[in-house]
Amino acid sequence: MSTKDNSACERANLVPDYAFDELAPAERRSMELHLRQCAACAGELDQLRLTTAALRVLPDQEVPRRIAFVSDAPASGAWLSAFWNSAARLGFASACVLAAGLSFAAAHRQPVVVQTAGVSDAAIQQAVDKAVAVAVDKAHAEDIQMTKAALDAVDGKYAQKQRNLMVAMQETLVDERKRLDLKRVYAMSSYDTPRMGAGQ
Amino acid sequence: MIFRAVPGSARGAEDADLIARVRKGDVEGFNLLVSRWEKRVFNYLLRLTGNPDDAMDLSQDVFLKAYQNIRKLDDTARFGPWLYRIAHNEAYSGFRRKRPEVAAPEFETGTETKDSFFDRQVAPGIAIDLSLAVSGALDRLSPEQREAVVLKIYQGFKFDEMAEILDCPVSTVKSRLYTALELLKTELAPANTRGIR
Repeated sequence: MSTKDNSACERANLVPDYAFDELAPAERRSMELHLRQCAACAGELDQLRLTTAALRVLPDQEVPRRIAFVSDAPASGAWLSAFWNSAARLGFASACVLAAGLSFAAAHRQPVVVQTAGVSDAAIQQAVDKAVAVAVDKAHAEDIQMTKAALDAVDGKYAQKQRNLMVAMQETLVDERKRLDLKRVYAMSSYDTPRMGAGQ
Repeated sequence: MIFRAVPGSARGAEDADLIARVRKGDVEGFNLLVSRWEKRVFNYLLRLTGNPDDAMDLSQDVFLKAYQNIRKLDDTARFGPWLYRIAHNEAYSGFRRKRPEVAAPEFETGTETKDSFFDRQVAPGIAIDLSLAVSGALDRLSPEQREAVVLKIYQGFKFDEMAEILDCPVSTVKSRLYTALELLKTELAPANTRGIR
């Protein structure tokens, strides 16, 4: 079968190739002629056929269950197929789902943001003006109230002073009147009483 | 030639038509393709793994990968070797998954296991001692030698197709096969005289 075992013929190494039909047509015809003349190579061929025949006594087994596919068509592109067969596809799919979710959320939040931005110039200005006006009014009212309270307090003190002064003046006037009355009484009494000593 | 088990060229033309249908999205065309090849692929994987369940699972994986990658097949006439290349890779990936420290079939060269697949394979109508002798002799081959025998004797591939499947030079394929046949000839000589002749 091999050259080293069958060194009697230099063409013995072609016997297996002939047996397995691996020779070119010209070589094959040449080998057929040689086998008729070379007993060593013919014997080698017989041994080889015997061995392979013995190997074939082991039969093929039937497939336990049929294999069938019901899936979609194969991927259209080689790169897509290669990617689809790779382990990264689940990660990529997860990233896509996450990105899609974020995009969806962002897209649905945008109008709210836009609406806020559209009103903000006027609304904020109006709100600021209103707040300032309210604050100014409030401060003004507080000022008026405080001023009024202060004036009222001053007026009160002044009125009290006036009242005290009037009371004092009235008391003084009463006293003065009493003193004048006393003077008048004294004067009249001095005019009606005769004087002793000088006329007598 | 009598050693050619299944002529690849006879299948080629019909396979090419079915592949064209599959590429157009015809899943049923692929199922027809599967039906033409599933028994051969299953038995190839069965002879590599020695386990029918593993061989069935691997066969399904092989055809699924073939379906997913069928557009990458440049020459539709080479569908057979291309499919077996996938099967070879799947089988060895399976071996690595089961036992990461070994990159080849786990049965050892030169040791005879009682429960090996080949020991259980006995052909009806053939002398039992010959079947057992063949099973034992195949078990004693190295995984590479056994795969070369399976591809040539049982699957009928040409040397260039085997080189494509195994991703090695034709000279390496021949070396493995002829060494294996030399060992088998020695092992089976006594049984041959009893069972075949």
